[in-house]
Amino acid sequence: MVNLTIDGKQITVPKTATIYEAAKDNGIHIPVLCYAKKLLPYGACRICLVEVEQMKGRLIPSCTTPVTEGMVVTTTSEEIVKVRKTVLEFLLVNHVVECPVCDKAGECDLQDLTYEYEVVTNRFKGEKFDLPTDEVNPLIERNMNRCVLCGKCVRVCDEVVGYGSYSFINRGFETKIATAFDRGLNCEFCGQCVSMCPVGALLPRPFKFKARPWQLKEVDTVCGYCGNGCTVTLGLLDKKIETIRFNDKIGVNDGNLCVRGRFGYSYVNSEDRLTKPLVRKNDQLVEVEWDEALQAVADGFVKAQEGKGVGVLSGARLTNEELFLLKNLAKTIGTGSLDHSGGECYKGVTEGLFETLGVKASTATFPQIENSDVVLAIRNDFYDTHPVVGMVINQAIRRNNAQLLVVADKRGKLSKLPRAKTLLSGPGLELDVLNGLSQIMLEEGLAKTDGVEGVKPLKQALADFTPDKVAARTGVDADALRDAARQLAGAERAAIMLAYGLPYTALSKELAVAAANLALLAGIPGREGSGIYLCGEKANSQGAIDLGILPAADGLGAQAMLDAAASGKLDALYVVGEDPVVSYPDRDRIEKALDQVPFLVVQDIFLSSTAAKADVVLPAASFAEKEGTFTNAERRIQRVRAGVPSPGEAKTDGAIFSMLDAKLGGSLAFTGPAAIFAEIGKDTPAYAEINFNEIGPQGVVWGGETLQPAARKLGEVTAAPLVEGEYRLVTGSALHHSGTTSTHAKGPLAVVPEAFVELSRDDAATLGIKEGDLVKVKGNGVELKLKAKVDIRMPNGVLFAPYHFKESGVNRMYKGETVIPVTISK
Amino acid sequence: MSEAVETQVQEEEIDLTGANEVIDKYIDMPGSLMPVLQGIQEFYGYIPEPTVHLTAERLNIYTSQIYGVLTFYSQFHMKPRGKYIIRVCMGTACHVKGAVRIGDTIENRLGIGHAETTEDLKFTVEHVACIGACGMAPVIMVNEGTYGSLTVQKTDEVIDKYKNMD
Ligand code: SF4
Ligand code: SF4
Ligand code: SF4
Ligand code: FES
Ligand code: FES
Repeated sequence: MVNLTIDGKQITVPKTATIYEAAKDNGIHIPVLCYAKKLLPYGACRICLVEVEQMKGRLIPSCTTPVTEGMVVTTTSEEIVKVRKTVLEFLLVNHVVECPVCDKAGECDLQDLTYEYEVVTNRFKGEKFDLPTDEVNPLIERNMNRCVLCGKCVRVCDEVVGYGSYSFINRGFETKIATAFDRGLNCEFCGQCVSMCPVGALLPRPFKFKARPWQLKEVDTVCGYCGNGCTVTLGLLDKKIETIRFNDKIGVNDGNLCVRGRFGYSYVNSEDRLTKPLVRKNDQLVEVEWDEALQAVADGFVKAQEGKGVGVLSGARLTNEELFLLKNLAKTIGTGSLDHSGGECYKGVTEGLFETLGVKASTATFPQIENSDVVLAIRNDFYDTHPVVGMVINQAIRRNNAQLLVVADKRGKLSKLPRAKTLLSGPGLELDVLNGLSQIMLEEGLAKTDGVEGVKPLKQALADFTPDKVAARTGVDADALRDAARQLAGAERAAIMLAYGLPYTALSKELAVAAANLALLAGIPGREGSGIYLCGEKANSQGAIDLGILPAADGLGAQAMLDAAASGKLDALYVVGEDPVVSYPDRDRIEKALDQVPFLVVQDIFLSSTAAKADVVLPAASFAEKEGTFTNAERRIQRVRAGVPSPGEAKTDGAIFSMLDAKLGGSLAFTGPAAIFAEIGKDTPAYAEINFNEIGPQGVVWGGETLQPAARKLGEVTAAPLVEGEYRLVTGSALHHSGTTSTHAKGPLAVVPEAFVELSRDDAATLGIKEGDLVKVKGNGVELKLKAKVDIRMPNGVLFAPYHFKESGVNRMYKGETVIPVTISK
Repeated sequence: MSEAVETQVQEEEIDLTGANEVIDKYIDMPGSLMPVLQGIQEFYGYIPEPTVHLTAERLNIYTSQIYGVLTFYSQFHMKPRGKYIIRVCMGTACHVKGAVRIGDTIENRLGIGHAETTEDLKFTVEHVACIGACGMAPVIMVNEGTYGSLTVQKTDEVIDKYKNMD
């Protein structure tokens, strides 16, 4: 700690603090423009100058100067004020002052400072900027006539996002911020630059002329998309979400968001939302009153349960409280056939982890990743499914010199981060690479085997995974494997990242076991600062696992339910918050099951492809209309808060479950989230300690920051199948989308409106395919027509097509395998 | 409509072998960006856009950052340049002695103004600041040759001379 005096006030601060930080933490105001908490010190604008007695003769930038013992600082004096005024005058010379029509007005640092320092006239005269605005990109309004060249956008896009859209170009008066070749922005559209810009030079386009900032009401809740669990602050006007506000004060995401969180809210406001229950009459879905719909569902379920039974299939974007009610509703219905999308895809992942570590969750929290020495990410898609954890990895690299290792079958964003090493395997062979790393650790005596069960059998089983053999099978260089294994084994703090979701169903258990084996050998699980991270695709994937939304002993899982339905062995299906027709592997099989089942009830916010087949459709509420909790991928239980009312007569899933339960004669009273949360603790001990009303802005991590594994048992070794073929297709997630919900949101759709097939530049040249061409991809007896995307990230012979989209039908071809041999032509 | 629309990616077809060779030479050197860009300019006579993307990919540097460097230093040119570079001095001395008229004369003759290149890639005109020959203002340079005390007629003669050369 260091003692110093600021404006006569004695203060004590950590020795890493700058003068600015010391002042701020002690309630002393120093103006800043180019400073931002999350960025490295920069010191360009000179607005934050102060006097330091020990450094007489010049003014000192407080935002870059570290405190020293005994320092005496003055933050305001006649001279300081004069200099600050001059800085502002200079900025205002070229700045186009158009506050009346600028969406930043009211929270603009330049406007506020001009007012604070009463800069009424300007001693300097000069040309005003007259630069064209960026009208090309759909989401971010860039008006460089308002730019104060603070460089925050340049820095955040580099230091945090790792994308690097912007640069200072030209010199002198001509200096400005531009993209490469000064074109329209074409990037991840995470909007971090928008949230950093102190003025109105970068603004969210969808918010243009929607509201003055002071008119907005703010509600902090949790993003409804992925398992990252970012805090999103809804900006509300007249009970409508108009924007997502920048908020770096609470939550795990430090104010960072991805395109889905920042611009994907618009589906909540969509005209296409379901507003009234629908019941099929004469083969038409017609609007009815709630009571009629619920009665129809209750009657249908009772009848089905007397026959071949009811199956309940849930999504993973319901709150914990709603999942709890659903679990109990299933009991009232009398069925043990309950599952969530996990049953289809990531049940295997949790099973794999449970067999080895005795837990079904990440063993550490996201903030610990930033201090890692080595991060191993499985698949480059990890960034696409969980972008904001990806940004944490980027910061670990930049701030802590972490070494990133990527085990993947294609390159991607992670591979491009500084010093990243990509162990690039043939398609779908990540499993073999992980096994190879374990083999090296054991072989070279690097493995930490104390208290670990099954070392000997593992050693034997890994005989087929020597570096040379793995290299021959996967194409990853044997020495690169050795280096990676040594780095992981030698790291004091290491993280292994594995994401899962509906497009990653193949070998999910095997992959989890291989990752857990590797983690055990590297001594990761349970070690402070290290962790194996299991990151679910959906906002409450972890909650669904914690609460056990899984089949009872006598019940059917997702796969079995669908098979039973298809073969006439199930009489009713209740699908909640998921669109399996589009999102599950093997659309034909799903469609057949849904067409065959005598009674189908779908509860959703849109008339999805699945809902269109239903006998009864129940209109549900979005995340922005709910109170409750989500559990994110690091076990953090966070409060979800309602910001807006549901459209029409739509109701929360929880309310619907309660009403249905009552119709069926059950005893589930919908007593509000706090009471239900308390009930959850009875079934799920990890939640028992936690009081709903005491869940603060940072949430509560069940099991603690570092979760001790209940077992340390090395699991069975498997090899991934080698799939031959001139062209091989893998599927997965696209950055701008998450599940199918984002395909109803204008923001993500404006950037990525449809599926595509990505191929390497060489392949494109060989096939005579150009970016944007419509190409035919044939495989598994299915032909898809997709737009071509040519990218150097793809290895030759490997194609990638994201799922998400109804029209493209990638899941017609993808039936749950690792790799699909295909042909591709124009 | 903004400028950005008009400048949306125009794909230039060029042979990247030369650029790849330059990059091969410097890739393992720290601070390789400047020599790479200089080498590319030497090879192609300018920096074609595809070579910028190639450099970004191979050196793992943001394209935007390279663009920042290219626009900061006047030594780099992102458009093909003429065989003869005519530098018209617009310094104070030359300005007083009628540099603007000289510039106009050249523009009338070649149809190109500052920072432009004739379609046959023979001439590029650049207006520059004082080139240190104020004694013979107004002055132009054509590649390494300096021509001073120019009149409209003399300027015509200089242009004729180069027009008649290959
Ligand atoms: S939106 Fe994100 S990726 Fe795009 S320029 Fe801004 S910070 Fe960079
Ligand atoms: S656009 Fe905004 S953030 Fe970027 S340099 Fe200009 S004022 Fe700063
Ligand atoms: S989708 Fe995921 S990463 Fe993106 S903002 Fe939402 S929670 Fe964060
Ligand atoms: S805020 Fe300190 S120099 Fe800009
Ligand atoms: S002003 Fe033209 S040479 Fe000096």
